[in-house]
Amino acid sequence: MEETNFVLLWQEHYQKIDQSLAINKRLLKELLLQKADSSIRSLIGGKVLGIIAGVIWLALLGGVLAIAFIHYSSAANYFIVSIGAIFLINVKAVYDYVRYLILINGLRLDGSVVEIQNKLLALQVSLIRHSRIMVVQLPFWSTFYLSSKWFPGAVEAGYVFFQLLFTAAFVWLAVWLYKRLTFKEPENRWVRFFLSGIGGKAILNALKSYRELEDLEA
Amino acid sequence: MTTARSDEFISVLERHKGIIFKIANAYARDAETKKDLTQEIILQLWKAFDSYNPLFRHSTWIYKVSLNVSLAFSRKEHNRNKLLVPLFVDLPGLAVPDESTERMTEFRHLQQFIQELKDLDRAILLLYLEEKSQKEMAEIIGITQTNISTRIGRIKATLRQKFDQLQK
Repeated sequence: MEETNFVLLWQEHYQKIDQSLAINKRLLKELLLQKADSSIRSLIGGKVLGIIAGVIWLALLGGVLAIAFIHYSSAANYFIVSIGAIFLINVKAVYDYVRYLILINGLRLDGSVVEIQNKLLALQVSLIRHSRIMVVQLPFWSTFYLSSKWFPGAVEAGYVFFQLLFTAAFVWLAVWLYKRLTFKEPENRWVRFFLSGIGGKAILNALKSYRELEDLEA
Repeated sequence: MTTARSDEFISVLERHKGIIFKIANAYARDAETKKDLTQEIILQLWKAFDSYNPLFRHSTWIYKVSLNVSLAFSRKEHNRNKLLVPLFVDLPGLAVPDESTERMTEFRHLQQFIQELKDLDRAILLLYLEEKSQKEMAEIIGITQTNISTRIGRIKATLRQKFDQLQK
């Protein structure tokens, strides 16, 4: 087919539609009144629920930490340090997520396609990069239940060995995941498995688009 | 926002509704997703309307926002929670050209080939089919005119090849 025909074909088809297409004004006004004036509403869905769940989780962790501080005993040292670390890591994760939502929601979309898509993708990928911090908490889940009163002094060598091995395995897993989740190898099946838990398809699409943009600008 | 402002917005939409309709058609695979995408584009246009820069033409502004929304939209996984009725209404008898004609079959093929293109190539082709100048395309997409020209050449070659294969 000749190239001029693509344009003709396209225009012929849409000419009639353009003429007959009408805007449903009643619905549109309803939509603008109900939704668009409030930018917060565009966050509705899993995102707000995610934040609520995050805040409840932080409140729970903060609550048990406060109780441990109020009724302080040296036996709770492992617990305080471990839950304290988990709490701080989760505060950082929730903070990053809220910041991401505010930035992405406030982004003006009337810039050039390459500029805006670059910004959107950078934000999306940065969120995931930040979310790697969540894996840092893994080792602390293997130590919070220990008691200063009986570990390591008052337990058998076999238990000390088991506990060290157990924590070392969690440390290894955390380091391994932290290093892997850099998106240098999105096709890796473990990376894919981890991503699938946090909206993987959208992220893999974002990475694909990134490559497309790089290609376009080259 | 005031009623006068929303009336002004609706009048701008009325004049350029075709742009939104065509872009949504190119980026959404089925009728339901098309409704969602159209709605999302209009919401984002409304949000950006207050900061609209009159130095640009309305059409350029609409192209930029619509393409940006569509590209981001096509990357997401969607849950339907929106309006059940479309914001655009096709008048019966006029809207859908006769499906049986040869031109219509050709158009369906063209549409299918457009859907098969990469997201950004699709944006460039849509602007080309709308006969935008290379200068305006470069401004909307944000790359150089030379780059636009090279891309168009490649996309057209791909389309020609696909049409040729159909005829064989």
